[in-house]
Amino acid sequence: MKGMVITLKHLFEKKITRQYPEYKRPLPERSRGLLTVDMDRCISCLQCMRVCPDHCISIEMEKRDVDGSGKARPYSVGFMIDDSRCLYCGMCVEVCPVNCIYHTEEYEVQAYDRLELARQFGERPVDPTVDPKPAIKKKKKVAKKAPETVDQRAETVQRAVTERD
Amino acid sequence: MLRDERRPESAALSGRETGRLANPDVRDEFGLETIDMNMGPQHPSMHGLLRLILELDGETIVRCDPIMGYLHRSKEKISENRTYPAVVPITDRIDYLGNMHMEHGYCLAVEDLLDVEVPPRADAIRVLMCELMRLASHTPSIGFLLLELGAFTPILYGFRERERIQDIFEAVTGARMMFHYIRIGGVKADLPEDMPERIWERVESMEANIQRDFVDLIEGNEIFVARTRGVGKMTQEKAIEMGLTGPPLRCTGVDFDVRRDYPYGWYPNVEFDVVTDTEGDAEASYRVRLGEIKQSVRIIKQVLEKLPEGEVMADVSRRVRPPEGEGFGRVESPRGEYAVHVVSDGSDIPYRVHYRTPCTVNMQLLQEIIPGHYLPDVMPIMGIVDPVSGSWDK
Amino acid sequence: MGALLEYLDQEPWRFLISFGAILFLSLNLAAILTLAERKVAGYIQLRHGPNRVGPRGLLQPAADMVKLFTKENLSPSGSDRWVFLAAPIAMFLPAPLIWLVVPFAPGVVVADLNIALLFFISITSIGALGVIMAGYGSRSNFSLLGALRGAGQLISYEVPLILSLLGVAILAGSLSLVDVVNAQDGGFWNWYFLPQFPMLIAFFVAGIAEVKRIPFDLPEGESEIVGGFMVEYSGMTWAMIQASEFGLMGLMSAVSATLFFGGWQPPLEFLDLGTFNWIWLGLKTALLMFTFLWIRWTLPRLRMDQLMDFGWKVLVPLTIFWLFVTAGAVLAFPSIFG
Repeated sequence: MKGMVITLKHLFEKKITRQYPEYKRPLPERSRGLLTVDMDRCISCLQCMRVCPDHCISIEMEKRDVDGSGKARPYSVGFMIDDSRCLYCGMCVEVCPVNCIYHTEEYEVQAYDRLELARQFGERPVDPTVDPKPAIKKKKKVAKKAPETVDQRAETVQRAVTERD
Repeated sequence: MLRDERRPESAALSGRETGRLANPDVRDEFGLETIDMNMGPQHPSMHGLLRLILELDGETIVRCDPIMGYLHRSKEKISENRTYPAVVPITDRIDYLGNMHMEHGYCLAVEDLLDVEVPPRADAIRVLMCELMRLASHTPSIGFLLLELGAFTPILYGFRERERIQDIFEAVTGARMMFHYIRIGGVKADLPEDMPERIWERVESMEANIQRDFVDLIEGNEIFVARTRGVGKMTQEKAIEMGLTGPPLRCTGVDFDVRRDYPYGWYPNVEFDVVTDTEGDAEASYRVRLGEIKQSVRIIKQVLEKLPEGEVMADVSRRVRPPEGEGFGRVESPRGEYAVHVVSDGSDIPYRVHYRTPCTVNMQLLQEIIPGHYLPDVMPIMGIVDPVSGSWDK
Repeated sequence: MGALLEYLDQEPWRFLISFGAILFLSLNLAAILTLAERKVAGYIQLRHGPNRVGPRGLLQPAADMVKLFTKENLSPSGSDRWVFLAAPIAMFLPAPLIWLVVPFAPGVVVADLNIALLFFISITSIGALGVIMAGYGSRSNFSLLGALRGAGQLISYEVPLILSLLGVAILAGSLSLVDVVNAQDGGFWNWYFLPQFPMLIAFFVAGIAEVKRIPFDLPEGESEIVGGFMVEYSGMTWAMIQASEFGLMGLMSAVSATLFFGGWQPPLEFLDLGTFNWIWLGLKTALLMFTFLWIRWTLPRLRMDQLMDFGWKVLVPLTIFWLFVTAGAVLAFPSIFG
């Protein structure tokens, strides 16, 4: 019975729903929304491409003389961020040395085709269907040796003991 | 699953006995049969994607086989292809109602491997975040228990509390659900300036709300008591034999909590009680969770008072390359004991990561305890386990 | 114009037009109740209900109707086609039929049967038949469970339903609803909810069980056997079942209001509105419907054996006992209760 009185009281309280399209609440400053790149500052170090866990950043790099100083520098001629893969983990933002890639407060992303979600920031569009190979060089060992587990250690010890005897 | 492969039906079933079918004379004379029913993966109350193959005699369940694996995302295999820091977002997504604990467990395992000392302020902030996460996980859990019993309202009150805590998380970490906040060696960033006061106010108003909306609304309700008292009764020996941890274990009376028995992080510096209950049924698990909410509030207040100063990240290089070896970390997540075992072969990428998620083990409860109960009792028994689909399927 | 109305007031036309109006009332009531349920649910749960379609969501039933009309009517293969399709009709029938005997205002009643209570009881049983047909007709384990539960529950709760009416019949001295309402005139202290309070509780609870609302909605158990007996219905057939549920809910509220709260009688003498007394009936019915909804969104549901225990071991003895008390009071104090 007490429960019914409680729900009746709730009936007359103020609603806590926020009506979404009319009211958008102010996001805190650390919110991680869509990513965006300030291409003027990008030095094409490829760190974000390497660190992204999902390989959603694809960069085509060329050496080009952009600021007229006569020296050819790495320049991102194609920069693509694939929103259909992005985890919003923020690792690329942390790793960028010149703070050119950062989170905005946007979060409304819709498209009818998944490929439309790939946003291009550079001059030359990068193909979103090609998975950029991770820039990490995995050391190709012949056979990946696992460290010894307890049983294997026991076996080696046993073998050593029998050999000795 | 073929009929022959299942366990033979046991006559002594916990709960009520199915006298009719266990008696072969009755069975053969009337030609009685059982119905095979599938509470399939698409179901409003399966807490995700669980398939239960039930064999029913009228309304009594004779056999119950849970089939899991509909949400398997091969998290352990993915972890073998990513660098150590990049695995943290993966752990976030394992138990999506209690994310901080998942990250915490993995980071403890890697810090064990690297032998890194985490600064005390980072430890305290981790405890604060984990206890807030426990609050945010238990309030909807109680709501889920009632949702399946048919009361559609408390879950919305539970989610109201969770949303308010998620607002705090958003201000601290930047995201409402997949936080990626607890990193190897500490936490990502310090708390903002006004955060301790906000957390304090939020937690105090939560206590009043929980008293009104969860305790008063539910505990005196005869229907709730009738549906959950005596349902899913377990003994301590059976619980330990099944390997349960967390609230399902503590509701039978076994006094085991990873925070107190294998302390980690800043937990040695806070005082809290381990909540147990002796009954071992669904109502007891509800009371245990409610008690844990109160204890979490107590821990949060202590941490806020004694928050140490200092930096929040240890000196760990960005490219984590641990020596060969194994690391192990265990935490008390809202669902039970969660542990991570990391094996390294000396490179950037782990050789093997194994997640011991509590729900995978706690789900045995369904196969052992459900036979003998009526069909509507499946719901309160699932409420004892409080499963989250990502947690049992990884 | 006057001659036309007089001609239409004769027997076959009067009945046909009134029946059409009752059907219209019943279906609209069901539609409005879908909206009311969702709005009340929202307000209890601290959220707005539907509020996008039309001002404050008032056109939501229209949107629902459009959607349901255009949906495909699926049926499982191997289901018994005739039984499957006849079931929603059988479930919906009691609602408009019983509205025929409810008095709306002094002298305004479609069919003044002198055995109206008996009519009420017998027609509500058709609803139980409809549930069993629905569960059997859809060839599915879930539906079968729902139908069996439904059969048990509905048939058992008809006993307290009937017994609780008998007290009112004794006090009013007749089985006709018009007489029952006329006997409650004078003011709200004459209404039967005061001397028959336990019967009111029993009737209301049995009414909730007959309509299959929470806490008695096991046949339709949404959490366990998603939809129970109506899991295989979609589109217009499902809409018919929903209309039957809400229509019957409105009907139970109206009959409770008539039997125990005075029907169209105003609470105080001077508030009498003549033929507009149906406003009073409407208000009382609305309050009772609100109580149905309020209970639905607060309480969890009972398990089958607890439900049967409650019906047979609590409600039936209560009603029988109070029946004896009522009969004794009428014999002992014929002046007050005669």
